[in-house]
Amino acid sequence: MIIAGYNVTKHFISGGMFSTNKVVVKAVQGVNIKIREKETVGLVGESGSGKTTLARLLVGLEEVTEGTILFNIPDDELNEYEEALKKGDKEVMKRIEEKYDITKMPKSKLRKLRRYMSMVFQDPYSSLDPRMRVLDIIKEPMIATGYLSGEEADKRVLELLEKVGLPKWFAYRYPHELSGGQRQRVALARALSTNPKFIALDEPTSALDVSTQAQILNLLKSLQKEEGISYLLITHNIAVASYLSDRLYVMYAGKIVEVGDKELVIKNPKHPYTIALMSAVPRIGKVMQRVPIKGEPPNLVNLPTGCHFHPRCPYAFEYCGWNAIEVAEDLKYLLEGKYYDIGGERIRIDVLSDFKLRIEGIGYQDLEKIVKSEIESVKSFKSIDSIKMEGENIVTIELKKYMTPKLYELEDGRLVSCLLYDEKFKNRK
Amino acid sequence: MEENKIGEKEKILEIKDLEVKFVTRRGIFHALNGVDLELYRGEVLGIAGESGSGKSTLLLTISGLLPSNAWVTNGKIVYMGENLIQDLVDAGKPKYNKKRNEKAFKKLNEKLQNIRGTKISIVFQDPMTALNPVLQVGYQIAEAIYYHNPSILAKRILARYKATKDDMREILKILKSNKEDYTEKLLEYIGRRNLEGLEEQVLFIWERNDLHDIKKEKLIMSLAGERVSRFALPFLNQVAKTNKVPRIPILSRFIKRILIKEGYRKAVEILSILNVPNPDKVVYMYPHELSGGMRQRVAIAIALVNNPEIVLLDEPTSALDVTVQAQVLDLVKNLRKKYNSSFIFVSHDLSVLYEVTDRIAVMYAGRVVEVGSKEEIVSNPLHPYTQSLLRAVPTLEGNEVSPIPGEVPDMRNPPKGCMFHPRCPFAMDICKVQTPPMYTLGNGHKVACFLYGERK
Repeated sequence: MIIAGYNVTKHFISGGMFSTNKVVVKAVQGVNIKIREKETVGLVGESGSGKTTLARLLVGLEEVTEGTILFNIPDDELNEYEEALKKGDKEVMKRIEEKYDITKMPKSKLRKLRRYMSMVFQDPYSSLDPRMRVLDIIKEPMIATGYLSGEEADKRVLELLEKVGLPKWFAYRYPHELSGGQRQRVALARALSTNPKFIALDEPTSALDVSTQAQILNLLKSLQKEEGISYLLITHNIAVASYLSDRLYVMYAGKIVEVGDKELVIKNPKHPYTIALMSAVPRIGKVMQRVPIKGEPPNLVNLPTGCHFHPRCPYAFEYCGWNAIEVAEDLKYLLEGKYYDIGGERIRIDVLSDFKLRIEGIGYQDLEKIVKSEIESVKSFKSIDSIKMEGENIVTIELKKYMTPKLYELEDGRLVSCLLYDEKFKNRK
Repeated sequence: MEENKIGEKEKILEIKDLEVKFVTRRGIFHALNGVDLELYRGEVLGIAGESGSGKSTLLLTISGLLPSNAWVTNGKIVYMGENLIQDLVDAGKPKYNKKRNEKAFKKLNEKLQNIRGTKISIVFQDPMTALNPVLQVGYQIAEAIYYHNPSILAKRILARYKATKDDMREILKILKSNKEDYTEKLLEYIGRRNLEGLEEQVLFIWERNDLHDIKKEKLIMSLAGERVSRFALPFLNQVAKTNKVPRIPILSRFIKRILIKEGYRKAVEILSILNVPNPDKVVYMYPHELSGGMRQRVAIAIALVNNPEIVLLDEPTSALDVTVQAQVLDLVKNLRKKYNSSFIFVSHDLSVLYEVTDRIAVMYAGRVVEVGSKEEIVSNPLHPYTQSLLRAVPTLEGNEVSPIPGEVPDMRNPPKGCMFHPRCPFAMDICKVQTPPMYTLGNGHKVACFLYGERK
């Protein structure tokens, strides 16, 4: 296994030491990811879902808040580690982590490892130093990691240029003289320079034109064949991911929601988010049937409770993560709008706890009627467990406790993080 | 049959043999080299092409937003029987002259004052740069109406001022008694009582389905008899009549404030048509508080608020995520049903164009090389460039992707003859010397390639 990440988590904290309102951005939360030798893993998701952060964590450009990333670990030791993880055998885990975990490694050791991993960034216009010649750009990582130096390094630069399909005299040019596709080739040559085993490709073609994109994609494919590199391909373009990758990870709001073989995930997606995502991809020659999802991705500071996708999910049911605040908001909206005759301005809604709220100014029967007639269109009402009368025109609502989905394994070997695939709710589909 | 349909349709915009060059210090850049294109009323025309193919220059030329180093050497853009760029072409003859060109642009800007923004409007690719970061969203929408149609705003205020409680009761009676055709009856009543501007406000409240009837009635009743400062009244009447804001210092600012405030109300209405959640809060927000999809909707709102005849969309979804892109595409599809506008939708992504357009024009190196219905273009591409472009796009099915050999030509030094010949697998001798004309092959399918010359 080239890379195995367990419970990889990254929280960014904004606000200074004395700042009163510190904000925690939960970019990546408890992600497990594995990349085999000579494999391409596609990581797809909307912008802001934490794809890039995850890639930066995996190549050691960012420090994890929590979690383990084992790099270049033989399979038998990985199995041993996984068993220890299941049993909770701390000693074995510690022994293996000391050897392979890049998050706990001393810097000097990590620097030597760095030559085995590299990254290609999204925007070739800002990832190349405008004051360096192409030669120096490509040479830099070799010198920094101590892989090669001097004339040997220069020679390798020329070889690399040929490999990525650029003429040799480009070595003495500056980035501004090159077109977008040529720059991305230079960035690729730089990533290849230290003979890495693993490259994280962060949207390598999104800044390029269609025809140049095709050239780069084919180049990536042939390089993998020749050199036997593993790729982590980050992209929001699902067609590109489908073209290059063997397996797909679908990410939503910092969590992996579905993992599986490319064919399975694309043709027969299981997680509601993946279904919606795949149906939103426009295809040539087909006007598609969309699974509509409303709204936009959540903000990573105030994530929805339970399953992060539940507020947008067309299949959401009572245990998916509804809390009292959401129910109160929906109720308020209805009482001020559609049920103005019952509610009007007299209503007061108090949120007592995560699962309990109190409403003043409405009768028990009225409220029950509203909840019953709206339960199909307002999904959060599904989570209402009981409505109790507290006094005249005072009602309390209790909600069912939500559950957070784990990654459930399906028969075809893929993992899906949705309660619909939990043993308890199997017959709900 | 398809041809008949196109034949019946009214041509709303005609571009003929348009040539635009940019004069730069490093030479003359040939951006457009003879573009022929027609836009029919009510259709969505897609323009596909790579960067540098002249898609954006074409849109800028139509909307008259070219920079002053642009040299229009030839061509016509006919809108409502008038050639918009005649002055520019004249100024560019016989040679580029900076002063003459700038003068012509000034003249063009004056001429376009009543067209740009009202009849032809444009939505840019990146909504973050298209919107003004220091102005509220509502203000930016209101401003678009204020500058082009202040009378709409004045009429709305005056209608509320003139309407009495009795009027409102009468209107509510009409709305309740006629289930189907209340719009006509309402318009008739409003016409009789001389309350233009009220109908859209009433209908907006009445057609909301998240409100209870009692609340709607209450809101509609509250429209009546709004107080307007006695000082402003004669000026509002004047604006409503002449569609011009008086140019008197201090006073004009005073009127502007009243009208812009009204524009916010109109902005709420248009944003809710565009499916923006909580529009009454969004109008008071600044662009940076909104997500990408929401910003793009605001930009579309600004473009649509004056009911334009032609809407130019320059890569409106390229900066958005797939799911949000799908929402915006659905929006465009719904809008064309609602407004009788024509759209030009520019994108480098053929699959996006296939989703929303009726016809697709493929551009290469400043020329339209192929036009046809979207089905024709996708299933039966004729021009070698279109063919290789379709082969270069990866699809979900994971087909083989084959890149187009060679590079996009340097437009300072474009190749002679057909611009695609250095990269074309079927290039013949004639391609290197002569520019192929547009061959029409039935079904409205046109292609600029010698391969199809002998068929005619």
